[in-house]
Amino acid sequence: MKRLTGSGVLLIVVPLLVALFGPLLVPDDLTRGAPFMPEGPLGTDFVGRDVWHQVLLGGRTVVLVALLATVCAYVVGVPWGVLAATARPLDEVLMRPLDLLLAIPSLLVLILLATIAGPGIVALVGIVTLINFPDVARISRAAALEIAGRPAVEAMRMQGETWWRIAIGYIGRSMLRTLAADLGVRLTGALYLVASASFLGVGVPPDAADWAVMVDRNRVGLFLQPWAVVVPAVLIVALSIGLNLTFDRALRKETR
Amino acid sequence: MAGLISYAARRLALGVGQVLAVVTVVFLLVQALPGDAAVALAGDDPDPARIELIRAAMGLDQPPLRRFGDWLWGLLHLDFGVSLVSGRPVADFLATGLAPTALLAALTLVLLVPLSILVGVAAALREGSPLDRALTSVSVGLHSIPEFALAVVLIAVFGVGLGWVPPTAVGGLTPAVLVLPLLVLLARPICSISRLVRAGMIEALSSDYVRHARRLGIDVRRIRFAHALPNALAPAVQQVARTTDWLLGGVIVVEAVFVIPGLGTVLVDAVASRDLPVVQGLAVVFAVTTVAVNLLADLAAFRLAPRSR
Repeated sequence: MKRLTGSGVLLIVVPLLVALFGPLLVPDDLTRGAPFMPEGPLGTDFVGRDVWHQVLLGGRTVVLVALLATVCAYVVGVPWGVLAATARPLDEVLMRPLDLLLAIPSLLVLILLATIAGPGIVALVGIVTLINFPDVARISRAAALEIAGRPAVEAMRMQGETWWRIAIGYIGRSMLRTLAADLGVRLTGALYLVASASFLGVGVPPDAADWAVMVDRNRVGLFLQPWAVVVPAVLIVALSIGLNLTFDRALRKETR
Repeated sequence: MAGLISYAARRLALGVGQVLAVVTVVFLLVQALPGDAAVALAGDDPDPARIELIRAAMGLDQPPLRRFGDWLWGLLHLDFGVSLVSGRPVADFLATGLAPTALLAALTLVLLVPLSILVGVAAALREGSPLDRALTSVSVGLHSIPEFALAVVLIAVFGVGLGWVPPTAVGGLTPAVLVLPLLVLLARPICSISRLVRAGMIEALSSDYVRHARRLGIDVRRIRFAHALPNALAPAVQQVARTTDWLLGGVIVVEAVFVIPGLGTVLVDAVASRDLPVVQGLAVVFAVTTVAVNLLADLAAFRLAPRSR
């Protein structure tokens, strides 16, 4: 099983390195050739750009948006859940609307909202955050409710500690473990949404250097030039599998 | 039985509330979309008088509350309005797109449940064996691969490279065409549901009633499949409900990749051309389907293991 952990990490490291440092390796003067020709290491794409350069450039948005959206989901979702759990009168007001959001298919929400907001990284981060934070809020609320019932919290309340100290100093700290366990699911979920949206042409410009957009745009040339589709697709697949395997392993080691 | 009926009544009330709320949200969201439908319809060289005429004909000059009321009233009669682009009734679009999408979704669900149970039970009965570990690793890994990425890799290998199946559905929906889309749609849900079946089965097999049944000398197969399995299935059935969310998203993507003329393709096209009534109608259909499936799954889970409520 140790071997498996290694391959999981390797599956993450390769796409991440390409995504983060790839843009530094691309020369400034990009030439354009004919579309779908075998020039360069991976040939050219649907408008004649070098596929290898596009691969190097195209990971940054996918990875960055997924990471940012995950961070934002926690920044919004955790206080939301803790507030609902500790300030009882607010519970219904805070949690009911989230049930509604969870009742609509997430890709549908994403398509509708992205059409309203128009393309742009900020809008995409906001939408993916909106889709992801109800789950974070639910998990935080459940964890905070359990912790708030502990005798230690009762004691703190009787000592006259402020709400802030109890909520952040004790409950927040005790929740870290639960949240860490949830991180892997959240991150892969965000990656999934961002990539799928970009593939459908939602939230990104049509000729963006982006792995998911490359897969979509170069599909017409699959017979002529498969690398332009397969390489970015395999990078996304590798990243998803790697994230899942690594977080799952880490989690099981933790609970053992 | 009385418990089931009162639970069903409460659950149905919640479902109706969810549908109403979703319909309202969809209406508000589409109101917020940029661009005016009447301007879009008036063509490239809009004449202000003509825009006013179209606006009046579409009821866009009415106050929003009135339009919302009209829209709701129309929905009750399955009247979803008229497409801005082609002028055809939205119900037409839904009717033509429904068959391929329903076929894909139905086949996926029909295959999904027995396959997940098979994989989950096989892993649970040999807990800790190489087979169990291999199945677990694969299902953990595959769990959240975006459908489009898996789909194009499969197309490149089996459609283009090996030529075993047609790469897209352009030539018509034959059984061979459906193989890859179904594989892609099944990959994610099978992983999550089979893991739940496995966990539930392992728990059930180590429970007191199973041990007692063993001591009574009841046939092992009977214990496993008639006593342990139904209890192991309840959490899995509820996960099937969550899967419809994925399935709808997956269907949209899979239809786009394999060029299948279903509801997903209609939606993506309508969004691209800002055809608001079509988008609204589809959003309502998708949302109502999700709520309905959730409801059915909750009722089924209640029936399988009434204790859990």
